[in-house]
Amino acid sequence: MNWFPIFYRELLLFRRRLLRLGYVVSALFSPMLYLLAFGLGLGKRVAMSGGTYLDYLLPGLIAMTSMTNSYTWIATSMTVGRLHFRTFQVYIQAPVTAADIVVGQILAGMVRGLFASGILLGLGLFLSTGLHLNLMFFLVLVLNCLVFAAFGVIVGMKSRSHEDTATFTNFFIMPMAFFCGTFFPVDEMPWLLRDIIKALPLTHTNRLLRFPFWNLESLESLALLSAYGVVCLALGIIIIRRYSE
Amino acid sequence: MHAMIVTDNLGKQYQDLVALDGLSLQIPPGEIFGLLGPNGAGKTTCIKILTTLARPSRGTARIHDFDVVRQPLAVKKLIGVCPQEINLDRELTAYENLWIYGRLHRMPDLAARIAELLTFGNLEERAHSLVREFSGGMQRRLLILRALVSRPRVLFLDEPTVGLDPQVRRQLWNLIQELKLSGITIILTTHYIEEAEMLCDRVGILNRGRLIALDTPAALVAKVGGYVVETLNSGRRQYLLVRDKEEAYARAQTEPTGVIIRQVNLEDVFIQLTGERLTN
Repeated sequence: MNWFPIFYRELLLFRRRLLRLGYVVSALFSPMLYLLAFGLGLGKRVAMSGGTYLDYLLPGLIAMTSMTNSYTWIATSMTVGRLHFRTFQVYIQAPVTAADIVVGQILAGMVRGLFASGILLGLGLFLSTGLHLNLMFFLVLVLNCLVFAAFGVIVGMKSRSHEDTATFTNFFIMPMAFFCGTFFPVDEMPWLLRDIIKALPLTHTNRLLRFPFWNLESLESLALLSAYGVVCLALGIIIIRRYSE
Repeated sequence: MHAMIVTDNLGKQYQDLVALDGLSLQIPPGEIFGLLGPNGAGKTTCIKILTTLARPSRGTARIHDFDVVRQPLAVKKLIGVCPQEINLDRELTAYENLWIYGRLHRMPDLAARIAELLTFGNLEERAHSLVREFSGGMQRRLLILRALVSRPRVLFLDEPTVGLDPQVRRQLWNLIQELKLSGITIILTTHYIEEAEMLCDRVGILNRGRLIALDTPAALVAKVGGYVVETLNSGRRQYLLVRDKEEAYARAQTEPTGVIIRQVNLEDVFIQLTGERLTN
């Protein structure tokens, strides 16, 4: 395996962009907005699942932030790198395998997802006492970053323009952010929609981050999330292996 | 001598467009081989196939006996690619760009190799500057240096001097001529006549995906004549190819308007073969 230079390149670019204040603000703008508007606005007035709404909302926002940041970084970086700057072609012409490229990119996306969700988590510790921080919580957070970074690889490879990436985001990522239990319980949705939502990965990340305890239901969710990760990873490798201009 | 690059009936088709049509070539080690042709002739497509970026629709291509489709990793270990577009990481430094490329190729003693290359390319003082602060000429030089990090046996230079001013172009020509001394095989695409004549041992002329001529620049020129008499009749430039200077003078005296007498170049070869100009 020779994924390290691919991962390291992305980290160097990430570090350069981190130094720009606007970058951090844009990465955390949406979750902070939701946290302020819903979490602190409704906050302690609304009770949900035996706690305050803020306690309910915070794990959902952490899941959403890890999803959007892992996905967006990779999908955008690969689309722009492949179609505009043509830096992706350097990997294809170098003696590295498709798996090296995918692993390097996914790890970089995970770093970004964990960085953004870590900041939100740190803030959440001051605002809420409802977070259950244990091994499973962090395992699920890492797995969620992996799933959506791997999905970002697929989108980054399949987009034929920057607009295509936005379309994928609007059709897959945005609905998941709103319907998969980030802001309200999935059980309150109509039955047909509920069944679809229960098949989506973010639903299971939300469930696991709220109740990170080892039981049969958690294991099923973990298995489903892992399956999503494996499928997206394999698809990413196949797409890159078949890449031809 | 055993050929370093062999293509046999190589073709690439994009839906209705035939980008490359039955290219058969043999390039010996150590040669600077030029692919000359106008935009859209198939030069870049050929480079993309040879560097594993595009799969051929038909035919085969081998580099040092490795098939570019079946043994791409072995091929990638042998080649260095300097593409037409500057695909450096502009937000990284020159050193970082070279380091990442070297690590992709698992190069040992990478720091020493990078220092050596930066000195060779006269960029050692800008090693830790961001690439976005570089001039166009410096970025082109860094692009060539990056392709050399892995000590490739074959170097692909796709339009290496496009868009550069004449002075910078000459600096890059000197760099490429120095590379030739190291024995590396170079495939160079260009639509600059002077570049092909000055740098290339042999030139293949491509037009609409087809190889229409292949020889040394001198032999290609000799096939169409020694001199050109250029005239301007009713606003239309006309070219008359003649064998020698005496014949050119004799022709010139029969023309009612002013004429230009010059030696034949590869553009005249192209016009003779296709009826079209190589450059706009």
